[in-house]
Amino acid sequence: MTDDAVIEVDEVSKFFGGIVALSEVSCTVGPGITALLGPNGAGKSTLLRIMCGLTPPSRGQVRILGRVPRRDLDVTRLIGLVPQQEALFDPLTALQFVELAGRLQKVDQPRPAAEAALHLVELDPGDGRPVRTYSKGMRQRVKVAQALVHSPQVVMLDEPLEGLDPRQRLRMIALFRRLADEGRTVLVSSHVLDEVEKLGSRVLVIAEGRLAATGDFHQIRELMDDRPHRLRLGADKPRALAAGLLDAAAVVGAWVQGPETVIVDTVDVAAFRHAVAGVARQRDVRLHEVVALDDDLDSVFRYLVGRR
Amino acid sequence: MSDIYRLILRTQLNRGRAAALLAIAAVGMLLAFAVRVTVSASDRPEAAYSLVDGFGLGLLVPTTALVFASTALGDPAEDRTLVYLWLRPIPRWQITVASLAASLSIAVPFAIVPTVIMALLADGGIDLVGASLGAAAAASLAYCSIFLGFGLVVRRALVWGLTYLLIWEGFVARSGTTATRLSVLGYARTLFADLAGQAPPTLASSTSVAIAAPFVIGAAAIALTTWLLCRIDVA
Ligand SMILES: Nc1ncnc2c1ncn2[C@@H]1O[C@H](COP(=O)(O)OP(=O)(O)O)[C@@H](O)[C@H]1O
Ligand SMILES: [Mg+2]
Repeated sequence: MTDDAVIEVDEVSKFFGGIVALSEVSCTVGPGITALLGPNGAGKSTLLRIMCGLTPPSRGQVRILGRVPRRDLDVTRLIGLVPQQEALFDPLTALQFVELAGRLQKVDQPRPAAEAALHLVELDPGDGRPVRTYSKGMRQRVKVAQALVHSPQVVMLDEPLEGLDPRQRLRMIALFRRLADEGRTVLVSSHVLDEVEKLGSRVLVIAEGRLAATGDFHQIRELMDDRPHRLRLGADKPRALAAGLLDAAAVVGAWVQGPETVIVDTVDVAAFRHAVAGVARQRDVRLHEVVALDDDLDSVFRYLVGRR
Repeated sequence: MSDIYRLILRTQLNRGRAAALLAIAAVGMLLAFAVRVTVSASDRPEAAYSLVDGFGLGLLVPTTALVFASTALGDPAEDRTLVYLWLRPIPRWQITVASLAASLSIAVPFAIVPTVIMALLADGGIDLVGASLGAAAAASLAYCSIFLGFGLVVRRALVWGLTYLLIWEGFVARSGTTATRLSVLGYARTLFADLAGQAPPTLASSTSVAIAAPFVIGAAAIALTTWLLCRIDVA
């Protein structure tokens, strides 16, 4: 474990009845922004909940600045959590909600602290409407404000960019950057690759309850791009095309799958696209489509999990 | 703690619940008024006693406690706002006690006061009024503390709570068997009879036990609810 580990996750597994939500996850998170990337159902929320102590791990242990959450109530002073769910105390105004959070966190001056937190997320502290009337994006920002009101050292946010419009997303990401620049540890979960790219940060990739990869975003991107890709080709002479492609550059496998269809595995899509035109010309095949079959994020995650 | 108290009070009390319980209370008061105008003066103390015993203690007090105490922590657990109370540096027992205080604060206008008014309206004598106050307060304390933890861990607590009230408290507890000693109502009725100067129900406990029981039940339920809060999986 490195010296600057703020969050230490040690061999954590979590079972819900027969469901394995997390399986032997170990990682450390230090100051700055870290993204927790994974598809829906990967175990992101479960991991964040365990880190906060909202639920105990079935096996293994989590430490926040050396303390065990759930066992040690003082951990709650150190962390601010933005939970995934939208629910807030509906009858309260945003200011009342955030001020209540400040009081419960024993902030010295809860009212000014709440106003400042609302300003950070660009909400009006003077808004007299109850949060019940708020849009998804506004609720999301109230959730962020209540997590920051006590100026915690560790901020954990479960899909905080959901429900925000593109402009708000950029402002929110800028806010996370500022928090990180102040030396805080900011852990942001997301299932959207592009968001994580904008966070421009260290990434923990989680899929099917396992830690699939860790590193900075570019390493992860390269890993993803290096994986074999599967493409579907439509052509009038599939046999001739498949035979010709077997010798082509970057092709791992090629086979006929229907009267006009060839499936190809390649390690380099760009090189393949270049090669396929030549093969088609050479064998006098008319090619009418090239479709990537696994460019969705889920298949990327599946590949990363399978690699381990 | 007062912050949590105010919050719970605000979230658990809504128009639907208030209207439903005020309706029950109104029926009780109408019945009490009917006793006054239809029952002869000599039979009135007896009739008034039965009405408060059956309707006030047997129905209004327990349902009010169920509706509000089981939702005090049950609502936040179900709608997933509990995290905003739970993930704070606040001892868990303070959350329990604040929730109980909020539930009792609601029981006063919705159950205890209407029960006392029933005794007044039915013209059952001053002893009955005092007895109604004492017994309704004691029963509210016991029921509220029980339903607090019940609502936290039981989904659809209202349905199961009503089942418990009907079958156990309403039927078994009145049977005059040992079950009477294992019901809130058994103690509340004993206390009520003692204070009102009426014959105690079958298999009643002593007065001192009947007075102590709600507090013992309350303390045990607070401890249990606090323990549950420490162990709960917060979403
Ligand atoms: N309280 C729970 N009870 C049962 N299963 C759960 C519970 N919470 C999560 N799971 C399951 O654990 C897995 C991981 O869920 P989650 O952590 O919510 O994933 P993510 O946040 O990445 O979408 C899913 O299969 C989910 O159905
Ligand atoms: Mg999630």
